[in-house]
Amino acid sequence: MQARSQDFAALVKSRQVIVCVGSGGVGKTTTSAVIGLHAALEGKRVLVLTIDPAKRLANSLGIQAIGSDPSPIPLERFEEIGLSPKGTMHAMMLDMKHSFDSLVQQHAPDEDSKRNILQNKLYQYFSTSLAGTQEYAAAEKLYELYMQGDYDLIVLDTPPTSHALDFLEAPNRLVEAINSRAMQFLYKPGRASLLGVGTGYVIKTLSKFTGSELINELSGFLKAFSTLFKGFQERAAKVRELLTSDVSTFCVVTAPNAGNIDEALYFYEKLGGDHTRVGAFITNRVHPSWVPHEELAMPSMRISAALGDTMLMEGLDASEQKQFAKNIRNNASDFQVLADLDRESIQRLADKLPKELPILQVPYFSHDIHSLRGLNHVRKAIFQD
Amino acid sequence: MGKTTLASAFALSCAMQGKKTLLIELNVKDRLNSLFGAVEVGTEIVELEQNLYGVNITPEAAMEEYGIMKLKLKMVYRAVFENRLVHSFLKIIPGLNELLMLGKSHYHATEVDDSGRYIWDMVVIDAPATGHGIFFLKIPSVITSIISAGPMFHDAKRIQEFLSDESLTAINLVTLPEDMPVNETLELQQVILDELKMPIGMLVANCVYSPAFAPEQMQRLLELDPGDVDKLDCDDHMKGFVRAARFRSQRVEMQREYIERLDANKQDAQLIQTSYHFAERFDFQTIRKLAIEVRAQLDPDFQPAQHEDAPLYDTATEELSASS
Repeated sequence: MQARSQDFAALVKSRQVIVCVGSGGVGKTTTSAVIGLHAALEGKRVLVLTIDPAKRLANSLGIQAIGSDPSPIPLERFEEIGLSPKGTMHAMMLDMKHSFDSLVQQHAPDEDSKRNILQNKLYQYFSTSLAGTQEYAAAEKLYELYMQGDYDLIVLDTPPTSHALDFLEAPNRLVEAINSRAMQFLYKPGRASLLGVGTGYVIKTLSKFTGSELINELSGFLKAFSTLFKGFQERAAKVRELLTSDVSTFCVVTAPNAGNIDEALYFYEKLGGDHTRVGAFITNRVHPSWVPHEELAMPSMRISAALGDTMLMEGLDASEQKQFAKNIRNNASDFQVLADLDRESIQRLADKLPKELPILQVPYFSHDIHSLRGLNHVRKAIFQD
Repeated sequence: MGKTTLASAFALSCAMQGKKTLLIELNVKDRLNSLFGAVEVGTEIVELEQNLYGVNITPEAAMEEYGIMKLKLKMVYRAVFENRLVHSFLKIIPGLNELLMLGKSHYHATEVDDSGRYIWDMVVIDAPATGHGIFFLKIPSVITSIISAGPMFHDAKRIQEFLSDESLTAINLVTLPEDMPVNETLELQQVILDELKMPIGMLVANCVYSPAFAPEQMQRLLELDPGDVDKLDCDDHMKGFVRAARFRSQRVEMQREYIERLDANKQDAQLIQTSYHFAERFDFQTIRKLAIEVRAQLDPDFQPAQHEDAPLYDTATEELSASS
């Protein structure tokens, strides 16, 4: 465990961009904040970029709210819990709609196309829900912040996509999707004749379903959107270059139940299935093994005998002590089932990964992590500090 | 959060009451076959249990069915929908997949037999998770705000009306009694009520730990701090037992606070609590227990046929609180 923590600390130290990926609900946001906290303590200027609108991260960092501009975590928040960071920590929340709008502002060739896009109804509803747009916006923002060079380390908490690859390839996919022949047909109707006879009839039948309004809106949207392609494509190539270079690494965040482990392995494979892109696995919420198996079979009498004189059972009569002891034993058995399952899952994960890839475990705590103090507990567990 | 598990348990509880129930998965890797030990649940309806049927709706199958229904002739459908151009065109219409899946679900919910009676007494849909779930439920109103005529408009309008009618529809929210899930669920509730204007039925707090200790025992455990445990005059294994017991009590206490928060903010919804299962995997027996648990809270007079649940903790039992 110690060695893995050191490996992970070295990884964090050597990178300028860390992307945390994983399915929803496994503690990605918390993990991102913890990595940021560690690096700030070590002396780096850190930015944690999150997409999670929950106020929880803001609260846990001791600030009112995280805005769409980087907000600093005040030094006294750290001092309150006895930490004195050598570096600084900022956090910001990515507002998807806002980010995408500013992409349009940036890449549209002229005022007309800018207005056409921003005012299109389809764009307004779907700019943040079309396949890949969230990932594209996040990657783009990351690139912009990286290029500005105000931070030594940027930790990105990714949207809870079901495919990590989407994130890496979103920029290309978005361009490809809109650039497809079917799409081009709509905004460059002249080309349609190449596709053969009958197309006119087909589109006519189709618009009987959708109404011609939808087809018109769609072609208007695509026509305007296509003017952004050149900018998108160039940018997408650069973002990809950054994310696949030695400057960046991916951390797969997971939880030890079977479904989450499967998804984590899937992410790993999609990211290339080797050590070059994925730098570490972090498993949150691992049930501790409190009592070894052989002890669980002991008669509750022995528990009441051992604990009878302690402050826990002070003043209870013999039968009350016995009942208490029985509940204590049954409870430990309940949790041992979970600890065993978690251990098996993590072993299964380890068996499928190269030995040199660190897998870090964070125990399941008795309380939720929603304070800087809580983040610091997790930090200690990950970095063995 | 246990959405699929809860949807399955709720559907089973309806079937147990004699209602003919259809449980719908939406274009996901089938989980019903492992939960019900049944055959693979695909795009054709299959029987899972007595009165309970399952289906996995995919946009492709829904589109074919819809297209053939509207165009009357399979040949015409093929000519139009299987045209390569149209096919790739349909794939990129934003929201179309969601509308198709909603459309197929709505079709089943309103399907009637020759005598005009509903074929299904209850249709339960395992909908997508929060973010995508809102997008999913919003689709009909988005469509009706973009277009104003044609079959797609009318279908979207019908679906929207159906979803907003509290005599026909209830959106049930499943959450965990923990900080982030509770916040997210209460926000989701607000969006559903204010923006989507759809009725909420149940608010389910899932994975609630049974206390394992009597209140007085729990009190003693909570009064110990970690330092006290280290100082206890006993060996390390005993301390392990005490740490596990403290952990349980702290989690139970924490969950109780979040359940109170849900209760205070539930508005018109009914708060339901379902137990955490210290089990290796979910099988039919677990689903059945959950179904009985849900039904007993929805319907206080409900008496399950054979209820053999162990007491919540030794020597004393406590009734599950059903709030209304």
